Amino acid sequence: MRFSSSPVLSQAVPAWRSRFVLLMLLLGFATLAGRTIYLQGFRNDFLRGKGEARYERVLEISSTRGRILDRHGDVLAVSTPVKSIWAIPEDARLQPADVRQLARLLEMDVRELDRRLASDKDFVYIKRQISPEVAEQVEALKLPGIHEQQEYRRYYPSGDVTSHVLGFTGVEDAGQEGVELAFNSLLVGKPGSRRVIRDRRGNIVEDVESIRAPLDGKDVTLALDSKIQYLAYSNLRQAIEQNRARAGGIVVLDVRTGEVLALANLPTYNPNNREHLTGGQLRNRAFTDTFEPGSTLKPFTAALALEKGHYRYDTVIQTAPGRMSIGPAVIHDAHLHGALTVAQVIQKSSNVGAAKIALSMPPELMWDMFDSLGFGTPLKLGFPGEVGGRLRPWKKWQPIEQATMAYGHGISVTLIQLARAYLAFARDGDLVPLSLLRLDTPPISGKPVFSAQTAKEVRSMLEMVVEPGGTAPKARVPGYRTAGKTGTAHKLEGGAYVNKYVASFVGLAPASDPRLVVAVMIDEPTGGSYYGGDVAAPVFSRVMAGALRTLGIPFDAPQKPAGTPEIPAAPEEM
Amino acid sequence: MKLTPLTNRLAQPGRASMELDPLLLWPALGLLLFGLVMVYSASIAIAEAGKSTGYAATYYLMRHGVFLTVGLVAGVVVFQIPVRLWQRLAPWLFVIGVLLLALVLIPHVGRSVNGAQRWIPLMVVNLQPSELMKLFVVLYAADYTTRKLDDMDSFRHGFVPMATVMMLVGGLLLREPDFGAFVVIICIAMGILFLGGINARLFSILFAVLLVAFAFLILTSPYRRERLFGFMDPWQDAFGKGYQLSHALIAFGRGEWMGVGLGASVEKLFYLPEAHTDFLLAVVAEELGAVGVIAVIVLFALVVQRSFAIGRQALALERVYGGLAAQGIGIWLGVQSFINMGVNMGLLPTKGLTLPMMSFGGSGILANCIALAILLRVDWENRQMMRGRKV
Repeated sequence: MRFSSSPVLSQAVPAWRSRFVLLMLLLGFATLAGRTIYLQGFRNDFLRGKGEARYERVLEISSTRGRILDRHGDVLAVSTPVKSIWAIPEDARLQPADVRQLARLLEMDVRELDRRLASDKDFVYIKRQISPEVAEQVEALKLPGIHEQQEYRRYYPSGDVTSHVLGFTGVEDAGQEGVELAFNSLLVGKPGSRRVIRDRRGNIVEDVESIRAPLDGKDVTLALDSKIQYLAYSNLRQAIEQNRARAGGIVVLDVRTGEVLALANLPTYNPNNREHLTGGQLRNRAFTDTFEPGSTLKPFTAALALEKGHYRYDTVIQTAPGRMSIGPAVIHDAHLHGALTVAQVIQKSSNVGAAKIALSMPPELMWDMFDSLGFGTPLKLGFPGEVGGRLRPWKKWQPIEQATMAYGHGISVTLIQLARAYLAFARDGDLVPLSLLRLDTPPISGKPVFSAQTAKEVRSMLEMVVEPGGTAPKARVPGYRTAGKTGTAHKLEGGAYVNKYVASFVGLAPASDPRLVVAVMIDEPTGGSYYGGDVAAPVFSRVMAGALRTLGIPFDAPQKPAGTPEIPAAPEEM
Repeated sequence: MKLTPLTNRLAQPGRASMELDPLLLWPALGLLLFGLVMVYSASIAIAEAGKSTGYAATYYLMRHGVFLTVGLVAGVVVFQIPVRLWQRLAPWLFVIGVLLLALVLIPHVGRSVNGAQRWIPLMVVNLQPSELMKLFVVLYAADYTTRKLDDMDSFRHGFVPMATVMMLVGGLLLREPDFGAFVVIICIAMGILFLGGINARLFSILFAVLLVAFAFLILTSPYRRERLFGFMDPWQDAFGKGYQLSHALIAFGRGEWMGVGLGASVEKLFYLPEAHTDFLLAVVAEELGAVGVIAVIVLFALVVQRSFAIGRQALALERVYGGLAAQGIGIWLGVQSFINMGVNMGLLPTKGLTLPMMSFGGSGILANCIALAILLRVDWENRQMMRGRKV
């Protein structure tokens, strides 16, 4: 098959040209082979890097926020997975029918959806925190430019019963109120991250590596007892409705440990639906609102007198004629009592008696006692807006101030401070710090304020309050020896006392070996009676009775035989 | 003539290798089938995500499979046609090609995609006249050169008529615009003239003139200039003009020696535009690595080498038309595959040429299959003649 020797042909169609052209083409192919070896064998690191920069992303893997549990492990707050729908408006060029369908699924207004999709941003949220089921339906539509992301929504099974204790989180999963805020650093997890390859539409096509595993938040176990909490909340709510009161609060403390077993305020809100929230609903009044406690402070005056003054349980004080002038001011008793023992001053709640006792002692001693009881200083449990109340330095006290402070005016406290101060009577004179968390090793002893003897004597005075002739027989708890003190205080508005009241009752039981302190405060009762013994004491009684039963605390008093007539309350102080 | 040479051959497998050139047949079939696999791999993501494809992952696979079948059937039919008939038909086919190129430019007749009006919609498929024109130019230029063998030294009689005709065709192609087809067609025509023995000095001068003309074309059209600058340094404007090439190069880099595995390309996931057509080789590079790319290059080199060998043998048997047509086909496939691969690797500016025998596209595959059948026919006739049979 050698080339033809035809002279015409060899001249016209020279074979070297064919070989030359073929050689050029093969050289071209050889160049390509060289180029591909260069690109794929030697430039590969550079090119891979360029590729990684374009489609490798470091993704955050969200960690789950820890749960909040009550002391028995019941779930009070839990994060449930939800989805958020977002869009890249530039990619989301939807048909009107698609937009309508999407709007229907998301329960959105079509115009609102159109408005969001018309945004000139690169990223817009269409709807946040929808259920996984709805998200699945949206995904099934396969709409271009519409994406979803995993988020968590906080759910509070007990709703408004625990709202003020727990608080809530914002949409970014950060605590904003209550325990959610106070223990945020424990509850939040550490988001993990992993490196992935995404296609140009954002879908993950390959997992390259895990950089950091997500660390879920820790569960927080509260001291709260769900049953007692519900008891406290529902009885408070009932009392507020019955007495047509403006607001109220209740605190239940464990005497031995200082744990907060229940805490509720009204008005409140449902943390699962916070759409129409007002500031008044949000207020955690037990921590943020101070009030003049009134007569509930008298036992402290008496205790100080027993401890530091020359008084005994049965020292007689003349309260006649029921009023007392200090400078231009006059102190009144609501009723004429005549000569009373210290115990009876507490039982009958005599202002004049308390003032006389107080004035017989140096102001410094009184201030020291109030200070060591924790008045004037916030408890610092981590709740937002905690206040300390008003306790003026003793050097500036006028005699009238010292006298009124003896029965709880001219000083202001929060309900939680007041409840804690009563721990000194319930525990043989010492005070322990309060704890919102369940304590596995309770404090053995606290900071002493009174002697054990004094505490015991005051307890028996407080027992007289709920007995016939006291101001709060309605506070009695059947089967238990009960001790407590009423308070009915005029409210201060604009520097002057007005005819609005704060009714309160703080008490403990069983008196022989106290286990619980319950403090109840009802703000502006307008349903007839406004006395602490009528308004707050029944709440105390029901909550204390239920709580003691829940805890299985043995009776220390014979149960009242059925059919015993109602004991009339003694006339109360003002 | 009986319509059975191929079927005879298949019925007598022992003699088949004597009749059909295996070094051409198997590489060509290999490229066609490999192309089908890679078209599927490269298109699967866009087909699944596209509304126009009905979200069917196999949309492009099915269509390309049909094109291949039609192409292979056409190839079997074409193989029956004697080469001398092609020579007689060549001028008419060329005229039809020119008419189609003119037709595609008429508004509402031609269809425009991405600013280039290159397609004539025919019911379910789109006809791309420029793909067929490449074949017709081979056939016509071979015919022209055969007829004017004696005038090859004359500028006026040998070169000018051909140049005039090619300027007409080139003008039509540039109106679409289809610069890639223009370059290929000029290469084919000039190549065949060169092989036909056109005056070498004249040819060198012309070559220089053409070079200047190309430079002029590129510098006057912002569209072409943009493509040229994107090619110079794709990383300069990697998200603008250099976007496509930079992604093609990343695909090469990711593939390394052995590739990331068939089907595992990331670039085809909406990053690399035209992955199943012009940038198919980049997907081959990413999924099958340098090994896969070099295999493709070797197969193309084999096909081209066989085209020239067959052509030279035909010339040796004094069958000038068949010899020039065969080599013209070699130039066509060689040049177009070289340009396409060069573009993929960033050696040449991006210009919208498919990879012959592999890229998705009905007209291209059909034209390639017919061309391969003609090559095999030239070879078959060579063998017949050498056995002393009459063709």
